[in-house]
Amino acid sequence: MKEIVTIGLPSKGRLKESTLKLLKKNNLKLISKGGDRDYFASLNNLPNAKVIYLHAREIIERLGDGTLDIGISGLDLLYESAINLQKKIKVMKKLDFGKADLVVAVPNDWIDVQTVADLEEVSFYFRDKKNSRLRVATKYPNLTNKFFTSKGVTQYKIITSLGATEIYPFTGSSEIITDIASTGSTLKANNLRILKDGSILKTQACILASKESLPDIKKRQIVKLF
Amino acid sequence: MKSKNYSKKISEVFKKRGFVFSEPDILLDSNYIIQRSGENFKKLMLTFEDDSGKSMCLRPDLTVASCVKYLEDNSRRASKIYYSGQAYRRSNNSKDSIINDQVGLEIIGSEKKTSDNKEVINTILKSINKIKIKNVIVNIGDVSLFRQLIDSLKIPERWKLRLIRHFWRPKYFEDLLGILEANSDIDPITVDFDKKRFSEMKKLNQNQEIAGRKIYEILSRFDKKIRDPRSFAEGKKTAKIIKEFLKISCPIDQMDKYLEKFFKKYNIKKNLIKNELPIKSLLRSNYKIIFSANFGRDIEYYTGMVFEILTKKNKREIARGGRYDDLLKSLGSKQNISAVGAAINLNNLSKVTR
Repeated sequence: MKEIVTIGLPSKGRLKESTLKLLKKNNLKLISKGGDRDYFASLNNLPNAKVIYLHAREIIERLGDGTLDIGISGLDLLYESAINLQKKIKVMKKLDFGKADLVVAVPNDWIDVQTVADLEEVSFYFRDKKNSRLRVATKYPNLTNKFFTSKGVTQYKIITSLGATEIYPFTGSSEIITDIASTGSTLKANNLRILKDGSILKTQACILASKESLPDIKKRQIVKLF
Repeated sequence: MKSKNYSKKISEVFKKRGFVFSEPDILLDSNYIIQRSGENFKKLMLTFEDDSGKSMCLRPDLTVASCVKYLEDNSRRASKIYYSGQAYRRSNNSKDSIINDQVGLEIIGSEKKTSDNKEVINTILKSINKIKIKNVIVNIGDVSLFRQLIDSLKIPERWKLRLIRHFWRPKYFEDLLGILEANSDIDPITVDFDKKRFSEMKKLNQNQEIAGRKIYEILSRFDKKIRDPRSFAEGKKTAKIIKEFLKISCPIDQMDKYLEKFFKKYNIKKNLIKNELPIKSLLRSNYKIIFSANFGRDIEYYTGMVFEILTKKNKREIARGGRYDDLLKSLGSKQNISAVGAAINLNNLSKVTR
């Protein structure tokens, strides 16, 4: 069993800011020898803990392969990951930040589309009249597939997006999108609207642990410090 | 070994009845299948990319593969074919095998629907008898009855299409009936807001596209939708009729009696709804045959008669088949081509005779 407890923290964005606030609130002080650009850190009162700053998606991957013992990431990213990875990770605590919804959004001017059932009808229009499938841009192909299947939508094609998903319908890269929305203002600003029953998942930041590390009492105790 | 012997004996029955051996391709163009079956089916297929980047798959289904072959051969005549081979697909049930040994038959391009239905089901029953499988139950349905029932109901066209499309997804179908009952697919607040946008959009160039749809297409669908004449009470009544219809289940000799009683109760003209089941022939057989209006909802391409043969003891499926008149068109045929077929599952057959 490893002596050092490896903790993965988000390396950028709002998730990082909120994580740092949480640590501060719980009297956990981060020390980085190389300053702000250092990918490693330690915690002042936990000499056997090593902190690595990683992309929130990477944290899930590394918890799955056992490189990390503990990590902070989003529930959306956990549920989007492969099933075999999810089975290796336990949600220890849901945190009070990073709250958002993964939603289905369509162009504002598609005024005839209010529900997923409408979307399903329109997808058949694409198949029958245009001999193509409705394209859905997303960073969450697995969650999107699962949701659409549960709602009876089958005639679509996933376009994997790496960022700025909101502009896809207006650049000709997709017709609709699924994306994370916390207030909905970004979608609105980009002429998109959320379907009435288009909420795929409610997400928030979580403390996650590798199931491999859980039998170690020391590691379980560290989770309680957050 | 056992399954090879079964395959040989069953093939002999097929040959004697005029079916000709045909070997469908093992590799198919994945997009061909996904275009018809949708994105979700993709995960059940065994796919790979060839050197040119084209996505190929191992044939997930021998009926689909046989139809693809029929179209590639450019056959215009009625074909009576049989095959013996493997289908490769994952299942949602992890206990199921990825490789399915099957021996099956298809009648493609013939318009003699009732007699072809009879020939397919009788040939399969004869084959089962030949390999001395005795204690079986036959479940039979006719999915066209549901389509005809929906057509006879006074509901908006888009609701008819929606219910017919989702007949294959029982769970989601239940949700749809809930929406129909509560008339909750139109949100009055959003519609009021969108009506303003409707007027503005009417002034724009109607051929302008918004994310792949022309403005006139969006406006025409919107207009049709808000004019939906359905009232709450009608939605509730329609859902009740559909639910009650799907509960009809009885021995085949009582099917007419049950259906007539149902039509009378809801004042549905019975001449609007006809089945193509080979009833007389089935009544003469010695098998226990159960008709169920709810049966056959798990394979989307069936359009009429659908049946399965199960062992009485552990209800293991040993054969399944049905009519699929729309499949060839969805695979690229310019004309409608009628077809009916069935396959015997050799993996399950070997298990029940172990």
